[in-house]
Amino acid sequence: MSDVVTTTRRLIEVMGTVVTIDLFGEVDPAQTDAALERVEKSLHDVDRVFSTYKPTSALSRLRRGEVALGETPPEVADVLDLCQRAKTLSAGWFDPWSLPGGVDPTGFVKGWAAQRALDELRELPLFGAIVNAAGDIASFGGPAPGVVFRTGIVRPDDPQRLAAVVQLHGALATSGETQRGAHLYNPFSHEYFTAVASASVAGPDLGVCDALATALSVGGHDVLALIDQLDGYDAMTIDADGSMRATPSFAFVRN
Amino acid sequence: MKRSPIVAVGTVVGLASVLSFHSTPVKLNLSPVASSSSPATTTTPSTTTTAGSTTGPTSATTTTSLAPTTTTTTASVTGVHTATGPLVNYYYGQLSVKVTANGKKITAVTIGSISDGGNPRSVSIDQYAIPILEPEVLAAQSSSIQSVSGASYTSAGFQMSLQYALKSLHI
Repeated sequence: MSDVVTTTRRLIEVMGTVVTIDLFGEVDPAQTDAALERVEKSLHDVDRVFSTYKPTSALSRLRRGEVALGETPPEVADVLDLCQRAKTLSAGWFDPWSLPGGVDPTGFVKGWAAQRALDELRELPLFGAIVNAAGDIASFGGPAPGVVFRTGIVRPDDPQRLAAVVQLHGALATSGETQRGAHLYNPFSHEYFTAVASASVAGPDLGVCDALATALSVGGHDVLALIDQLDGYDAMTIDADGSMRATPSFAFVRN
Repeated sequence: MKRSPIVAVGTVVGLASVLSFHSTPVKLNLSPVASSSSPATTTTPSTTTTAGSTTGPTSATTTTSLAPTTTTTTASVTGVHTATGPLVNYYYGQLSVKVTANGKKITAVTIGSISDGGNPRSVSIDQYAIPILEPEVLAAQSSSIQSVSGASYTSAGFQMSLQYALKSLHI
């Protein structure tokens, strides 16, 4: 990054990982700090309500049957409604209701939370901003006026190297088993299994991208064809043999 | 809107041989590794002395309990502090997470140490600087990228070591 645009970075430890916020443009420190504090609060609020690791979260209590949906904060019903839409969009390949242990929208929530946090930054006079939640990215604008963000997609076998560079128009989520301790759950075979080594989905909303990336990881090339039919969303897969496939409009940067 | 067919866009060279090595699922054991795992805390610079018992970096003792309260940092909230979480088992072996903070602000999260039982992944993993947090490393390979997608450090082992490191820094 050799440009002269001022950048501000903040790291927030939340949701069992670290979320990186990058702001591009000259900013007023006090105004920026206030916005970043709202971002931080927004992410921690989501974690408090939706964490499946915290036994006291509203979601954990719902999963144990201790409370009814109507007794939880309204965003729980909102998220489950959005998950239902993502399930429909993915023809059932993303299905938080199929998981053992009760409904688990985690595959949607991280992206949704990052997208929601990004909204807290829109009032700042920035060229652009990025919220990167452990590799799932929400953004607006670019690094400088008239310039589009570029994002590297890591190789599933070696996260230190890139498989591809893409233009970032909004959101990008990548799902792969390499960095995870567990495989993803296949709602049709009821097994933990991934069809591809890496699955990326780009589009306007990171919650939807996150859910579709999970679906693509589990469903493989069938889901790639399905995403191709969705307006505004594009996708790429890397198979275990290293071969890459993408929808025709996937915004590769070809050097 | 119907579009043209999905296209094969290329091949990540050399991926097959590496991935095939890991086709056997490994059981994830979350228990911290007992022996060399006392959380180590270093404080630089430790110019501020404040009330209360100050425990320097040398006082970290080996203990069977991994509770982060067993390590005390100076009460100073300014200056650069580094803490390394305990070694925990993760998908391919054992790792510890190192956190650097300036006051209460995290400035870097990196892998403190990693071992993977002779697995050839170590060659690449040893050079980890957590790609999502250090995109400059990757940017050097490809000019002008602002972010990196796909390095999803959400494994339970990573989280666990991270939590211990953060607690020992009182963040």
